[in-house]
Amino acid sequence: MNKSTLKSVQNANTVALAGQPNTGKSTIFNRLTGSKQHVGNWPGKTVEKKEGAFKYSGQSYKLVDLPGTYSLTANSLEEIISRDFIIKEQPDVLIVVVDASQLERTLYLVAETAMLWTKIIVALNMMDIAERQGRALITETMGKKMGVKVVPMIASKNKGIPELLEAIKECADSGKPERKPAQQILEGDALALVKKVKLIIKGCVPSPYLEEWTALKLLEGDEEISGIMRNRLEPAKWQEIDSLVNDNSVLLVTGSKYEWIQKIISSSKQQPGREKTLARQNKFDKIATHPVLGKFAALGILLFAIIAAMIVGFPPAMAVMKVMPKVAEGTRTLLVSTPVWFSSMLADGVIIGVGIATALFFFLMAVFLVVGFLEDVGYLPRLAYVFDPFMQRLGLYGKSFMPFLMSLSCNIAGVLGTRVVDSWRQRFITLVMSPIIPCLAIWGVVAFIGTVFFGAKTPLVVVALLIVIVFHLIITSFLLRHIVVKGDRAGLIMDLPPYHKPNIKTIWGYAWMNGKAFLKRGFTLIALVSFVVWLLSYFPDGNIETSFLASTGKFLNPIGELMGFDWRLMVALIVAMASKEASLAAIAVLFGIGQKFTSVTGMIGATGIYKQEALGSILVQTISPAAALAFIFALTFSIPCIGTMGAFYSETKSLKWTAGASVYYTVSSLVAGILVYNISLLFF
Amino acid sequence: MIPLGLLEVGEVGVVQDITGGIGFISRISATGFTQNAEITMLRNWKRGPVLVFIRDTQMALGRGEAEKIIVRRKKI
Repeated sequence: MNKSTLKSVQNANTVALAGQPNTGKSTIFNRLTGSKQHVGNWPGKTVEKKEGAFKYSGQSYKLVDLPGTYSLTANSLEEIISRDFIIKEQPDVLIVVVDASQLERTLYLVAETAMLWTKIIVALNMMDIAERQGRALITETMGKKMGVKVVPMIASKNKGIPELLEAIKECADSGKPERKPAQQILEGDALALVKKVKLIIKGCVPSPYLEEWTALKLLEGDEEISGIMRNRLEPAKWQEIDSLVNDNSVLLVTGSKYEWIQKIISSSKQQPGREKTLARQNKFDKIATHPVLGKFAALGILLFAIIAAMIVGFPPAMAVMKVMPKVAEGTRTLLVSTPVWFSSMLADGVIIGVGIATALFFFLMAVFLVVGFLEDVGYLPRLAYVFDPFMQRLGLYGKSFMPFLMSLSCNIAGVLGTRVVDSWRQRFITLVMSPIIPCLAIWGVVAFIGTVFFGAKTPLVVVALLIVIVFHLIITSFLLRHIVVKGDRAGLIMDLPPYHKPNIKTIWGYAWMNGKAFLKRGFTLIALVSFVVWLLSYFPDGNIETSFLASTGKFLNPIGELMGFDWRLMVALIVAMASKEASLAAIAVLFGIGQKFTSVTGMIGATGIYKQEALGSILVQTISPAAALAFIFALTFSIPCIGTMGAFYSETKSLKWTAGASVYYTVSSLVAGILVYNISLLFF
Repeated sequence: MIPLGLLEVGEVGVVQDITGGIGFISRISATGFTQNAEITMLRNWKRGPVLVFIRDTQMALGRGEAEKIIVRRKKI
């Protein structure tokens, strides 16, 4: 469902869905909304916002999925977004998803939301796993103790959804929300402290914040709330607050909330002490979290995942790539009576571009299915755990390892793989860094040019390239962390949820939703850019050697000369930004070998139509080794391909960031090329 | 009283104190590391992150983070 239809739902009740990551929140979201979903970004943020709609007994509801968070203290952007929505938008009903198999910790979000002015339903998910652990809960008692409705669920098996719908209806139809005053949750010193602070800030708290909640957040050292109150309070009063807020106050208040949780759990247990001890790892987990074995296991699993994605995604993608030129030729023949530019536009500009985007779509769906599977099973946090010390050297978390590894096969897969990184900031850093890692297609070009120019010394070129890549990653990570998205690497604090049986519906829902998001943004961008590339390479007279693209190459010659390029290599570098596969074909055409193409888009997938030996000997005659080396480096660091940037746009949903990253890759490519050329001039 | 990082695998510790500044304490206490919480050590190789069990959950903590949590060994 698109935005306009969502908006047209009049008089709909707003229901918000909150929960910690890995509690099955998105499964519940999918079960409630079905296909009526819209994915966008939170206004002004790169954090994804999912909205959906559903109807129940004649009433329409709008469902907003809040980012997964552990608490509602301003420790991350996700937490600020979630609490701002609850406090400022005031949803009619707030569903807090709790994992019954990780009850104590996931109930913390209930303790956090309970003190806000909102009506809450607790969705107690994963009851089956809890049962297997020997944990039996009386949900009625639990609900009574917390003062909220508790709905036991196994969302992956569709159990509890009708009950949840009924609870939503009841909750929405009931009167004004009842807020739980602090004394129902906090006790002793913590409560006394909150009351004390509340007295100091009385009358100074801006709406819609509540005094008691504000007092609580001040004591927890919440930066955003502290900032607001510092400006509003008289200096003397602020000093009084400042003297009360310290390490101890934080521990006291959070500790008190956890005590409340423990009391609720112990009073709602059916038979105390029946639980198996949960603090035991299963056999696989012992291997998966082993510092050495765990790394091998991770590499094996990821390799398997990449191969699986290729097996699933390549056949349909290749089929499209095969049919596409035929459709293009067929169109050309059919339109033989029309002007040449028109038939070329349709055949080379539109059909090929749409074909590439379609082929990509199939490949992307396969990647999403595999990533969705790994996420659903719950393995990825283990991988993150074993690779964290390694990734830390890049200022990143262990979870970024998977997208990086996937990038080695295909940058598009890497960009999509960044979905598994939870925090938007870490994810954004990973997103910008993944395309720096050279994909298989780049290695293909590097191997060809390397062998032609450097023969047996090619491995040395590869080693040099690898070293520069590592430096590039380190520098980029540094720039991103210190300038673009400031904030230091917060240490590793990550939960390893229990393993889950994979659920096909969940995985398919995940893949389809992300696939749709790609169709909407990435697909359009790829088709558009392909068209523009065609325009540039066809006009003014249908010959690439005299086209606008060639003129651009000639215009950029001064830059090319810094790398020892002539205009043809400059054009090849521009083509490489659209597709690495096409860059060799472009070189072949420009150096007068192989068949004539009327457009660059026609070159993609056109391997084998020129003789590699012939191309090699011509290149050696016309290009200096220093320029060839510079070309290898410039090509490796340039924009990977339009597919990757399409995926980048689809993932960030921000043209600004997509353009910014493109500029960054281009600049770093030119810098690398110029440096390498000038350094190698000293040797060759 | 020892930092969490010194707890041997299989040992149980009870949180006594957390150091490292208000921002860190705020973040880590929200995930369940509060006074009197019981922690079982699952993985500890003296370097790299540790793996512990706390409040129904397996949690991975960086070595630096584990050093900031002060626990008392609990006799089992």
